[in-house]
Amino acid sequence: MSLCRQSALLLTKCIASQLNVTGQRNIKRWVAPTLRVIAKRREKIGPEPLKPRSTYLEWNYEAEIFAFGNRLGEKFDRSLLLRALTQREYANLKEIEAQKEGNVAVKNEHNHELIAEGFKIISDVIYNEYKNHYPEEIVNAVHKFLTTDEMLGLVGKHIGLSDIILTNEFPVETHTLSKTFKAVVAALKLSQDTQRAELFVKDILLCQMNGKDVYDIWNPERPFEYLTDLLKQKGISDIEPRLCNESAKNTILASYQVGLYNNKKLLGLGWGESIAIAKDTAAIDAIQRIYGNYMQK
Amino acid sequence: MTNKSLFLKPDFIRTVSQNGVGRYITQLQRVVLKFCKNNGSSRGMRDFIESELVHFARENPGICVYLKPRRHRGPVIKAEYLNGDSQWVNCANFSNEEIIKWLNLLKSQQNDKTGIRYRKLWHTDTPSIQGPWTPYTFRDSNLNLVNFPDNALAQPFNVEETLTEQLAKALKK
Repeated sequence: MSLCRQSALLLTKCIASQLNVTGQRNIKRWVAPTLRVIAKRREKIGPEPLKPRSTYLEWNYEAEIFAFGNRLGEKFDRSLLLRALTQREYANLKEIEAQKEGNVAVKNEHNHELIAEGFKIISDVIYNEYKNHYPEEIVNAVHKFLTTDEMLGLVGKHIGLSDIILTNEFPVETHTLSKTFKAVVAALKLSQDTQRAELFVKDILLCQMNGKDVYDIWNPERPFEYLTDLLKQKGISDIEPRLCNESAKNTILASYQVGLYNNKKLLGLGWGESIAIAKDTAAIDAIQRIYGNYMQK
Repeated sequence: MTNKSLFLKPDFIRTVSQNGVGRYITQLQRVVLKFCKNNGSSRGMRDFIESELVHFARENPGICVYLKPRRHRGPVIKAEYLNGDSQWVNCANFSNEEIIKWLNLLKSQQNDKTGIRYRKLWHTDTPSIQGPWTPYTFRDSNLNLVNFPDNALAQPFNVEETLTEQLAKALKK
């Protein structure tokens, strides 16, 4: 039997060589097991660590900072923009490395001074925009809201800072993004003028208040006492809270409506699940009504 | 919603970082065109690079364009957005015009939109301008003067006359 098979094999080989058939139409038997082993090893190593975009082959820093300015529609001075993007730690590290190599000419330029300058511009814009329409406390609250690291970091990320920042850390932290955004504002001021920088802050940062209510950002801690003080300054001393409506008393769905009156005039109206809460809500409403037509003296 | 979109991630329209309120910032930050120099499937991509690429780059100075020739690999557009998303478009056998259309789409998007189904084609932050309803909204103002308990108000609204009452009324006449 085996002789038979051997002879048959030989025969087919002979025919094949005679017909000059070389290619093989099936996938080799070693391919699947090899791929399986490779996949297993890949799985064992785990996912590839994230790498900064600047380590990729397709990366051109000059092109990136050119695109950055054009994306925002602003003309930056190249060296100033570079300085604004360089973190102090990064600059220090670069300087030490250069010194080790014996290259003393490397300048230690970083954005540390620009940050404070940029912050001042941002603050000025916010104060100038809000102080005519809101009292100081509200302006301070809005200023605090708009200059948190989270807010500035978010804004900085969405103008495209995260990839082009020169920093040692990866991924770039929100705090760094926020600092760099301030520095970029200062760099814009130095590259062009204050007006342009202020317009930039208005367009990029101040518009974050779109669709937000300042009274969601600012609320007095004890509204009724705050209202009493506020009205005292206006010469109104007697505030009369009245229970206007109540429903579902003594249930978990209880709801009360309290109105604050002065001399039969309604100051504010509020709702709440208890009378105390309703009174505070009414006070907040009254405060908002008073500040609604606030004009700076 | 069709069967096809069952596995798409539902989403609402949203704008990142109030883009366009102050000024509009193109959210596509860079695009990498990967292609092969001699494979036929990259032909459209090569045509695009020869004839249109410089024009595209000049029109969109805010977008970084990189070219990445690779041997015997298919043509691909890799788009990177400001929010960190990256989108990968296979352009095998695409013509020059198709590539222009895809690049225009990527340019006008704000993130990777593949695998997303919009629940609504509109969005509002303030669905109600008249505020939330309370038990006291639209209440009859006559109720302010009523002394409770009130006999008339305690009755049900729709009591039909019974047959007995109707008969009694008829007999009285």
